[in-house]
Order: sequence, then C-alpha cells, then structure tokens
Amino acid sequence: MSRTLTVAEMALREISRRRGVLILLALLPLAFYYSRRGEAYWQSVRFVSLGIGWTLSTAALFAGSAARAVEPRLRLSGYATHQLYLGRLAALWAVGLALIVPYFLLILIDLDQVRHGPVALILLLTVAVAAPFGLALSALLPRELEGMLVLLTVVAMQMMLDPDKAVAHALPFWFSREIGVYAIEHDAGSGHVVRGLVHALITLALFLVLVAVTSAVRLRRRPHVSMA
Amino acid sequence: MTVDDWLAAFAAELRRRRVEPAALVAEAAGHLRDSGRPPLQVFGPPTAYAVSLVDSLRGATTELRRPPSGEPRLAAVKIVKRYGRSTILDGVDLTVHAGEVVAVIGANGSGKSTLLRICAGLLAPDEGHVRIRGTLGYCPQDGGTADYLTPDEHYVLIGAGRGESRGAARAEGRAAAATLDWPRSSETVTARHLSGGTRQKLNLVLAGLGDPGVLLLDEPYQGFDNGSYLDFWQQVWRWRDTGKAVVVVTHRLGELDRADAVLDLTSRSAR
Repeated sequence: MSRTLTVAEMALREISRRRGVLILLALLPLAFYYSRRGEAYWQSVRFVSLGIGWTLSTAALFAGSAARAVEPRLRLSGYATHQLYLGRLAALWAVGLALIVPYFLLILIDLDQVRHGPVALILLLTVAVAAPFGLALSALLPRELEGMLVLLTVVAMQMMLDPDKAVAHALPFWFSREIGVYAIEHDAGSGHVVRGLVHALITLALFLVLVAVTSAVRLRRRPHVSMA
Repeated sequence: MTVDDWLAAFAAELRRRRVEPAALVAEAAGHLRDSGRPPLQVFGPPTAYAVSLVDSLRGATTELRRPPSGEPRLAAVKIVKRYGRSTILDGVDLTVHAGEVVAVIGANGSGKSTLLRICAGLLAPDEGHVRIRGTLGYCPQDGGTADYLTPDEHYVLIGAGRGESRGAARAEGRAAAATLDWPRSSETVTARHLSGGTRQKLNLVLAGLGDPGVLLLDEPYQGFDNGSYLDFWQQVWRWRDTGKAVVVVTHRLGELDRADAVLDLTSRSAR
C-alpha cells in the first residue's frame, strides 16, 4: 500500500509541475460550458462533462507516456505492476476530483433548472472513466500524437452522434448524456440514471482491465530470468 | 594555492587514478621544501602533474585485474537474439562473480545494450537463460529518470521499491551523488533542468540505491567530464570491493584495464 501511495504522490508532484497543462486542464471545460450556455443551457452540462473527460484523458495519456521510461526501472526496484498503475490512477483521480469541484459549484450557482445530484454523479463518473481511458490509450498507442487523435475523434463523435444509435452506446462517455437527460428533463424517469450508471461501470471495468492487462504484458518478468 | 592545498589536490587526483599517493606526495613535498618555491611554479597545476606522472608510471603501478573469488552472481548462458534475419547475439555466455567487474565492449550494433536488457529481464532472448543471485540494479544508457521529479524525489521513489524509508533513501542517494562529484543533489531542481552529465549521475546513483547485489551499467558515463569519469570508476571499484558483481558496457577501449574481465561482442560477431 505504501508503495502505491508513493507512486501516487510522485505522479501528483509531476502533474502539479506541468503548469501549462494544469491551466489548460482547468480552463478548457469552461470553454465547453460557455459554448452552449446561451442558447441551450441543458447541453452545457453535457459539454462541460465531455470537456472534463477529454482534458483528464489527455492528462492521463501524457502521464502514461512519460511513465514508460521509468516504469521498467521501478519494476526492477521491487514494485509490483499493479502498484504502478494503481498509484498513477489514484493521482489522476485526485486531480479529476479537484477539477470537478469548481465546475459543480459553477453549475450549482449558474443553473437552477437542473437536478444537481445527477449532475454531480455525471462529473464523478466522468473522472472515474477518463483516467483509465487515457492510461489505456497510452498503453495501446505509445506515440502521444496518435493517442491525441483518437481522443479527439472519440469526443467529436460523442458530440455529434445521435445518442439513441447503437454505435453511440459504444462510446466511453455515453453515460453522461443518459444521466444528463434525467438531470435536465424533470419528467424523465430514473431508468436513465440506471442505464447511465451501468454503462459507466462497465466502461470503467473494461478500461481498468485493459490498463491492468497491457501493464502486466509490458512490465512482465521474462521467463528466461531466474532469481535466487 | 598553499603547499598543503596543492599536495591535497595532487593526492586526490592520484587516488582518482588508482595510484597510492603516499610515496609520491612525500617526494613532491620534500622537493618543494628543498626548493622553497611555490608548487605551481615547480610542478604546475596539481591535476595536470598527477596525470603526467601517472602516464609515465603506467605499467609500473599496481593496476588491478584479479581473478574472481566470489560466487557467480550473474550467469547468462548461450544467449541468442535475432531481429528479423539479423542475429545480434549468437550463443553469448557471460558470468560475473561477486566482487568482479566485467566490461562488455563491441562496435555499434553489436548487441551490448541488448545483452544488458536481456540480463535485466527487460527483453526476452530467442534462446538462452539468465540466472541472478541477489537483487538487481540497472542503469540504462538513456531514460530511466522522470523529467518533473527532483533527485531527492527519485531517491524516495526508488528507495520505496527497495523497502527503504524516505530518510534513508534520501541520505543514501545524496551520499552516493557526492562521491560522483555532485554534492548538490539535494537542491530542488527537476531532472529536466539537469545537464546531460548530471542526469546520468542521477541515473547511476539510482542504480546503486538499496544495495543491489548485481549492477548492470549501460555506458553510464555519457556526458561526464574527465574527473567525474574517474570518480565513476572509483564508485565501480567500491561496489566491487563490497562484493557486488558489476557489468559495465563501454566503448572506451583504452580503459579496459579498469575491469577484471572483458567480453568483446565485436569479435564474436566478426567470427
């Protein structure tokens, strides 16, 4: 446990020193929010969650790529693979939680026509899914540019695709739309929340498994070495 | 520069070059006493004088090369590695005992770094196996450090993996850095702002943290100045004297007398 916390602490220190990234991380969702605030306030909730999802996934992508050079050495130093990715995930989740607090307060103050409990749920689930999503991408696509293009494509499709289409359900942040319906439309049933929650949990589980499997493969002890 | 300062600097440079300084320092001190002139006038700068003296004595000094006496700590047996149709390593054997330094040399592309990565378990060979007794410290040729962490944070991170407390890891890292002529490793400068040579010193210090039994060093002195390079070899010998098995990948053929054994991968591939 202490090793995982040490990795988390160092990952947080690394992220906190990327000031330019932190500023963009904080402000980009604001641009998403105000892009729809005027004519369609209900969409601004969905857009701000997508903005947070995108920026946090991007931060995770870069954190995962930067860690590739150090992680083999950390494995040789005695860390287990799961301590490395869980520590990094914990740091990213902490950053995400810090990020959503001011946005939740903004919505709380700025939008009184929405259900705020479901909005908080959307933001929490977005943080939960975005961090392993970015780490999984960094494992599958070691070059950051490729990962960025995939992230851009996912968010663009998330914005443009009809959410009722089956293919939209395969996108990682579909749950935000589904729970968002309940948050915004007062006559909507709680089935939207259940469906959104199930989607988010399945997506989260898939990404966690993907991160665990790719890390285990990349950082595995090769069988030709026997230690005594 | 006083006589004492000059003699101290002269002795330090002789030690760096693995020459016992007592007799030579006593001789120089006697000469200075007799002449009554400042040492810089008589001998010039102490470092340059020590270098010229060691060069003139080379062959007469007690350079090492001693037979291995400890148990085998690393045994790589019949290692074969191919990339496509090209065979990089063809049945390479490498055995390193406790208290032994082995230099791995070879031309560019001869598989030096590949062999080390296979020994570290970071890369799988096509054939062969590796047996290691004890823990492993690995210094890669590049990478291996985190851009946005300070040296102290690196020590804590690696030390935690080895089961060391924060304080112990920091103290050990700073002490090891000081032996590499880097006394200010405790400063809060992130690794990305260190010079190339200093970053490699950090890399080397990290490899030795936690007292590993086997050290694999892949050209760790890239960017070192001459003094740091000599300090590096002093560190390698200290490790050897405490019973560690050390493998150093090097391309400096003139320095092979610093190791106890040499594995030449160029000659293997040329055969």
